[in-house]
Amino acid sequence: MADTSTPATRTAAIVGGNRIPFARSNTAYAQASNQDMLTATLDGLVARFGLQGEQVGEVVAGAVLKHARDFNLTRESVLGSTLAASTPAYDIQQACGTGLEAAILVANKIALGQIESGIAGGVDTTSDAPLAVGDDLRRVLISLNSAKTLGDRLKALSRIRPGQLVPDMPRNAEPRTGLAMGDHAAITAKEWEIGREEQDELAVRSHQNMAAAYDRGFFDDLVTPYLGLTRDNNLRPDSSVEKLAKLKPVFGKGEGATMTAANSTPLTDGASAVLLASDEWAAAKGLPVLAHLVDAQTAAVDYVHGGEGLLMAPAYAVPVMLARNGLTLQDFDFYEIHEAFASTVLSTMKAWEDPAFCKEKLGLDAPLGSIDRSKLNVNGSSLAAGHPFAATGGRIVASLAKMLHEAGPGKRGLISVCAAGGQGVVAILES
Amino acid sequence: MATTVLDAAPSLASLYAKAALTSRGRGGDLPDTHLARHGVTVDRDHLAAYARVCRLPLTDVLPATYPHMLTFPLQMALMTDRAFPLATVGLVHVRNRIEVLRGVRADEALDLEVWAERFAAHRSGATVDLCASATVAGQEVWRSRSTYLSRGAKAPDGAPEADVDVAVGALERTAATWRVPDDAGRRYAKVSGDVNPIHLSGLTAKALGFKRAIAHGMWVKARVLGALAGRLPEALEVDVAFRKPLFLPSTVALATAEVGGGWDVAVRNAGSGTEHMVGTVRPR
Repeated sequence: MADTSTPATRTAAIVGGNRIPFARSNTAYAQASNQDMLTATLDGLVARFGLQGEQVGEVVAGAVLKHARDFNLTRESVLGSTLAASTPAYDIQQACGTGLEAAILVANKIALGQIESGIAGGVDTTSDAPLAVGDDLRRVLISLNSAKTLGDRLKALSRIRPGQLVPDMPRNAEPRTGLAMGDHAAITAKEWEIGREEQDELAVRSHQNMAAAYDRGFFDDLVTPYLGLTRDNNLRPDSSVEKLAKLKPVFGKGEGATMTAANSTPLTDGASAVLLASDEWAAAKGLPVLAHLVDAQTAAVDYVHGGEGLLMAPAYAVPVMLARNGLTLQDFDFYEIHEAFASTVLSTMKAWEDPAFCKEKLGLDAPLGSIDRSKLNVNGSSLAAGHPFAATGGRIVASLAKMLHEAGPGKRGLISVCAAGGQGVVAILES
Repeated sequence: MATTVLDAAPSLASLYAKAALTSRGRGGDLPDTHLARHGVTVDRDHLAAYARVCRLPLTDVLPATYPHMLTFPLQMALMTDRAFPLATVGLVHVRNRIEVLRGVRADEALDLEVWAERFAAHRSGATVDLCASATVAGQEVWRSRSTYLSRGAKAPDGAPEADVDVAVGALERTAATWRVPDDAGRRYAKVSGDVNPIHLSGLTAKALGFKRAIAHGMWVKARVLGALAGRLPEALEVDVAFRKPLFLPSTVALATAEVGGGWDVAVRNAGSGTEHMVGTVRPR
């Protein structure tokens, strides 16, 4: 239970969400900027809940891959949206945890009574990605800009070499290890002996679950079409284990490599937003309360020198949050474990079942145990939808809140999102 | 009235060439011709390029000015035809009114029709209105009226007085300052196909009597709508008067004032205050 010495606070309600369909890199949204997508997503949310011209307490969002010119991305998007221009906004960035962290920040301010309503969001484009000039060229250009005389300018220009003109492409790699995220995940998959087949099965189930959810209209009030797209274009309803078995591994090296393009998320473009509020604000507006954001936790691991897997931090964050709330891992009706890679989900669950890991790493007397797989990612997750980094959290929060609401009062859901830099963000929602 | 239906958009570059070659010997009254294209679909990449050059958000609803991209080539074809009484070279766009009857989605097939009307007398020549209409499944969704001035031309006897002005309030507060670069005309020409030499470079503009290249009026209009993104009703009327040319490069100031559920706007030179465009945006 919560520490009784802290002042009583309320929990923030999740009113609903909106996202645009997610698009694989360089497809439907190749021409759209982060600001275009975030603005369209906010406008869709505003339209859904009748907030045109209204001021909400705060809009918090972010992007992982961001142009320098987008320093105020969220505020700029708000100014271009149909929300009142008097709505404050700020940007955050916590890699793939950005979207969920934004929801936590908004929820915390609502819980403290500092705001009555807020929007949490996230957006990412890997198509309209920020290319940077190399560091050498950047230094030349800076000295060129500060040169006072023609001689100084010519001198600066004379330092430009052809090799410097190749731009720095953003890479999905860890700066400190130089390894792609997938290669990190492959190391963890090997350590936890995660097989190829179980990864492919998880991926297929994600596609099938999400396709079924679309078919029964689950996403009708969660997704607004954008630029001609009505569903996530990574979704493969006809995915099968037999088809996936034919793919060659792309991460990890040599014998025993298991991670393919199908059981790893692709580079994706998209945006999402969630409307949170106090119960009173929602009631005054006649808006529904789908669920409450009850608690949240972050954790980080030393994946550089400490020997822990890059994406294993949620395994550490969850038990801390469970203990604080007096819950066991089994006390949930739904589990939303972000499928950065199928192997990440499987490694995390295996770690929670492992007595040695739970004792030595988590300091627990007994393992957290296993979870009922029929409650896991029941409407699909990132392997099917794709994973526009900062937009994933908002997708999950809105979907889980709706699932809990449909299941009836008193239901509980767990969210677990791994992030670059060895971090994890987790949260509990309750209907 | 005769309506000619075209299968494809005419090439603006060749129409400008034709305009230059056929400017002599024009006269008479306006032709009763309508030009049309049916089932026109929007190229999403072109829409994205247009949004980028005009700083408009990229959405599934067409910017109010976008259908003009589709109707302007038809209007040029009408104007460059020998039956048209005024020489195209030297026509000055002095007023543009666009009505969005309802938001037009980028995936809707449009039937377009253009014609000329209202040959009118102006103190320094004559004006003519080039009209356009877009319908979806028989229902009109968008219409526009572009008024062009031909200096020194003479309207037929009994022609009405030209109507080229748009009244706006005082507009004393600057909302934004824009630096309009030297290549603004070339960039918009590349997207719009409006390669009128007066917009492309100092040299080509001088050949036609301007001291420097000038910005496209419709680009200025679109940028103003971009600056008001999120603050516009879906169905609206945007009526602007183009006053003095916006020479490139320039620094201009946008002034806005909320009026009657819409806006009054003015774009002026940031230093001299020379008025380039004034206009009104009203819900309808």
